[in-house]
Amino acid sequence: MSKHLLKFSVNGKDYAVVVQSHERLLDVLRDKLGLKGTKEGCSTGDCGICGVLMDGKIVNSCLIFAIQARNKKIVTIEGIGSAEKPHPIQRAFMKWNASQCGYCIPAMILATKELLERNSDPTIEDIKRATGGIICRCTGYLKIFEAVKTAASEMRGQDN
Amino acid sequence: MRRFDMFVPENLVDLLQYLDSHQTGVHLIANGTDLINRIQRKQVTPKVLVDLTGLAEFRYVKREGGMIKIGALTTISELIASPVIESRYDVFREVAMKFGGPSIVNMATIGGNICSASSSEDLLPVLLVLDAEVHVRSIHGERTIRVEDFVKGKRVTDLKPNELLVETSFGELEPHSTCSFEKVGMRNSLIIAFVNCAVYLKLAENKLCDEVRIAFNRVNGKIPQRARQTEKIMKGKKLNDQSLSDAVATLRDELKLTSDFRASEEYRLEVACAIFKRAVGRCADRLTGEKILV
Amino acid sequence: MIDKAAVKEFAQSQEMLVVGKSVGRVDSLDKVLGKPIYTMDIVPENALYLKVVRSNVAHALLKRVDLSEARKYPGVVAVVTAQDIPGINESTALLPDKPLFATDRVRFAGEPIAAIASYDPSIAEEAVDLVKIEYDPLPSVFSPIDALKPNAPKIHEKGNVAKHLKVRKGNVEEGFKQADLIVEGTYKTPFQEPVPLEPEAGFVVPEPDGSVTCVASIQSPYHVQTGIAKILSLRPEQVRVIQATTGGAFGPKSDEIPVDVLGMAALVAVRTRKPAALAYTREESMIGHTKRHPFVISVKVGVKKSGKLTAWETKLFADTGAYASLGPLVVIRACFHATGPYVIPNVKTDAYCVYTNNTMAGSFRGFGGPQAHFAAESHMDAIAKKLDIDPLDLRLMNILRPGTLTATSQIVDEGCGLEECITKATTESDWYKKRRQFQSMNGTKKRGLGIAIMYHGNSLGPEGNDFATVHMQIDSECKIRLRTALTEYGTGAPSGLLQIAAETMHLPIDYFTLDPSDTEYCTDSGPTVASRTITIGGRATQMVAGKLDQRLREIAAEMLECPADEVESSEGTFHSKSAKSVSFRDVVAHAYSRGISLKESSTFTAPKCEYDPETSQGTVYLQYTYGAVTAEVEVDTETGRVQVLKMVAAYDVGKAINPISLEGQIEGGTIQGLGYALMEEMIHKNGVVVNPNLGDYYVPTSLDIPEIKTIIVEYPGRLGPFGAKAIGEPPVVLPAPAIVNAIDNAIGVRITEIPATPDRLLINLRRTQEVQEKG
Repeated sequence: MSKHLLKFSVNGKDYAVVVQSHERLLDVLRDKLGLKGTKEGCSTGDCGICGVLMDGKIVNSCLIFAIQARNKKIVTIEGIGSAEKPHPIQRAFMKWNASQCGYCIPAMILATKELLERNSDPTIEDIKRATGGIICRCTGYLKIFEAVKTAASEMRGQDN
Repeated sequence: MRRFDMFVPENLVDLLQYLDSHQTGVHLIANGTDLINRIQRKQVTPKVLVDLTGLAEFRYVKREGGMIKIGALTTISELIASPVIESRYDVFREVAMKFGGPSIVNMATIGGNICSASSSEDLLPVLLVLDAEVHVRSIHGERTIRVEDFVKGKRVTDLKPNELLVETSFGELEPHSTCSFEKVGMRNSLIIAFVNCAVYLKLAENKLCDEVRIAFNRVNGKIPQRARQTEKIMKGKKLNDQSLSDAVATLRDELKLTSDFRASEEYRLEVACAIFKRAVGRCADRLTGEKILV
Repeated sequence: MIDKAAVKEFAQSQEMLVVGKSVGRVDSLDKVLGKPIYTMDIVPENALYLKVVRSNVAHALLKRVDLSEARKYPGVVAVVTAQDIPGINESTALLPDKPLFATDRVRFAGEPIAAIASYDPSIAEEAVDLVKIEYDPLPSVFSPIDALKPNAPKIHEKGNVAKHLKVRKGNVEEGFKQADLIVEGTYKTPFQEPVPLEPEAGFVVPEPDGSVTCVASIQSPYHVQTGIAKILSLRPEQVRVIQATTGGAFGPKSDEIPVDVLGMAALVAVRTRKPAALAYTREESMIGHTKRHPFVISVKVGVKKSGKLTAWETKLFADTGAYASLGPLVVIRACFHATGPYVIPNVKTDAYCVYTNNTMAGSFRGFGGPQAHFAAESHMDAIAKKLDIDPLDLRLMNILRPGTLTATSQIVDEGCGLEECITKATTESDWYKKRRQFQSMNGTKKRGLGIAIMYHGNSLGPEGNDFATVHMQIDSECKIRLRTALTEYGTGAPSGLLQIAAETMHLPIDYFTLDPSDTEYCTDSGPTVASRTITIGGRATQMVAGKLDQRLREIAAEMLECPADEVESSEGTFHSKSAKSVSFRDVVAHAYSRGISLKESSTFTAPKCEYDPETSQGTVYLQYTYGAVTAEVEVDTETGRVQVLKMVAAYDVGKAINPISLEGQIEGGTIQGLGYALMEEMIHKNGVVVNPNLGDYYVPTSLDIPEIKTIIVEYPGRLGPFGAKAIGEPPVVLPAPAIVNAIDNAIGVRITEIPATPDRLLINLRRTQEVQEKG
């Protein structure tokens, strides 16, 4: 009972990985799949930095054991955009210099993606709530709010 | 994290059999919002965890026989998204708004919350004023117990080592009744409560308090409880500023709070009274459509 | 948003290509893509992982440390203690008072005693539980006031005072005699935890030639190099230090903490000949690294009825914890700024940096400025109340202006935009009107408007030699690479250096890139602290860019067959007077084909600060940043909760190199200041931190954020490039006094101890109400 076979999908790709009982989803993503974009900020679920999308909803990957993610669809920051074609959310974050040290950014971008998927025209209050579970220590959040607004506007424009 | 084993049951029978034959050193885990936090802070050192996330049959919210029934593995966000939890039960949305942040709301389960029984617990005061019950199963059978009796102390419940909490239920809100929840912490998100408060109010004609139920995360001791003396004072009286003021005076005596590094006893008492008034006021507003309290 | 008018005015007076423009940062793309660029993302495959054994008592003799079970535990590869140190058991910032590993004695709860390494971090963690330690408790002391009592337990041989600093100007006794009123007050500030989102991390790779390569999340590569070399008994050149992308720093990653991390990892690495990595957990980071010094500050001020200040006496006591770190320098800055930015003829300041058995205090953005200004600016409002003068008017009556003297008798030069900052901030926040309106508010929610103003001596000043070296070279693909040991950890300052280089060379910004800070090819530039990057690093950048520009012109001149001084350059093309031109690429190619070096370095050394060591009279800093912040708050008088609704932050930055980056720094610092004002406090009980996690230590979340309006004022200074001044640290200084002053305006309660938690506020309010009812 100390090892399990984990089958799940990450960024659209199926994986079958042997995991240990105490390994968290965060550990499997970083250490077994080599996806280093998901960060560890506090290990007690208090900062939101380890956020990933699980079946479309933002969760703290430090609070989920790897085997508990079986059959789930995970999306990490690596599944969003690319250097050649950044996602509108990523472009908006760059435009506003919303990333300072960068450590909260993967989680912020995923939280933004979740928000904009269910609400394409969020108010500033909606944006604050959607990012309310992720600590940022560098920016004071304001440029992040602007980036989300810009991304929302661009993504609405693309749909039209 | 230190290593341990995990048992991943495929179905309920396997789970209950396992619990029956392994009654020590075993911890149940739903989505880990409480347990993993405690493991990392070295408050718990499990030898075996039992993963509950595979038991999809316990994720439901339904209306049945005049009761609202919530499966123990339902998450907070699933709960408030359910059409069964319509506007009469907005109290759950009030809880969710101040319950951690979006990821915690997506992960925390109702059953996990009840069983963790911590004194900063938000959901328990609401379940207490709804007079909720929990249903518990073991390989030997089932039992039902009131939430009030289930939570026995700080992080101590009546759950036996071979049991699983499977559902919580409460009677549907009667006409002319509503619930409200208030919480105060240090900031506006990711809040650990200094004090929280749930109120159930049923008004008869002439704004008479037909019934009132009040619960705080702490009343006398370190667990969520009902403030029964204050409830008694209010019952049958017309709800106005005077009767509310009398209620607060009783509440001041009834609440026996403590100080810790988060807040002092004196502060907790002040705020408990303040948010009690607000919760009652909101209930009254909803039921009467007018502001009857200042 | 930016005060565009002021920036436009300056820009029009000097046409600039790229300085003053909000260009994107070089590091943004990698960060939004989640690229593996931080320390723990790039640990080598076969590395060992360390876990640290720490004391759980504050002050004790180590009677016995039994590691035998841990050593035998299956999977444990190495256990290291002080015995395994080939060099010196020291990991310090300034004073030689701190070991890497405790040997016979621990002085704070959390002090490292040993480290255990395994390929599996879980095994190392389990082995830590097997270590048995016997302590012989020693009497302890947990406050600077107690530590200064005659019979206080001695924490270090030389006593409990790590530093005492004085300012003496004029004669305060005379000044008090001239006063119509004397106002006294005592102010207290807490341990504020920096919370860099990436906890400390580093790994060490042992090289075949006996040297080591260190990769870590750090601010100051050379400090680390010196420290590790000493521990390993190597020459500094045998210790290569590379800064990995660093997820926030704010101070703790500049001093001895990275030496702790890398020192422990290095011992394992050299012993096992395997790479060794150590990543602090959040709890370990909060206990083990340095935080903002708590201060107790007592102030006594003499003032005339008119509001003119006559004398200002301050005693500051800083709790530096068990080891001094940069405490003495923090205290210097607090000491010199203790009176606030005012003209006062008679000043007496005594500042003490005191040891206790609490966890360590050291560098943290602001560096003594926040504490000093909390006291000074709270006290100014207290004085205003006693005199029944508007706090804004009282300040304007006494502020520093060009030609006046500071508390250290330094003449304020023309680069002083303090008054304009105050005027703009108070106009924007509608000062008089709002304060009148708020007086007549009813209900349980009360509003208030408060102000605080500051000055901030730039760069190291009295804290050390201030020099920086910047290297530039053009590679064969025509990329102009800037290299410096001044590090990027979120400030955006190194990106600003690229703008300065581009401006100097009249080339497009995308020709330039920043290489990692690596001791292999960057010379020591001192620590990346004190907002030095743009000021000192910027000057060095101007120099080296100028040299490289000259080199390119000379090569172009040769190609264009004309004198070098007739070469014009613009947008990447070099022209001679006779319409001939060559492109930048042509010039670079030509240089490579001829073996002409396209590599330059320049060192800028700031002039030394001259002042009297006894009285601190003289030039203590080379230039000053000025600022004024207003805060509008709403106080819930039933719960004590404070919402900050709006803040206006006006700073005289000399010259804004990158306005949007600047706004980001100001906004971020303002929110750190808001946390300091309302919710942040590391709580010790008998020296043990009771809230070493982010659930119980509260930093502001996105739902706590007010509207922030940033106003940039530009009065060029004499030190920085294009007149730029330091802006990294100032934004964290003023929110606390501004908010506390606003609270007083709202509910008539003076909070003298921060954070102004709901508990403190409500209890203070009740007491005030009780007194009023009785009276």
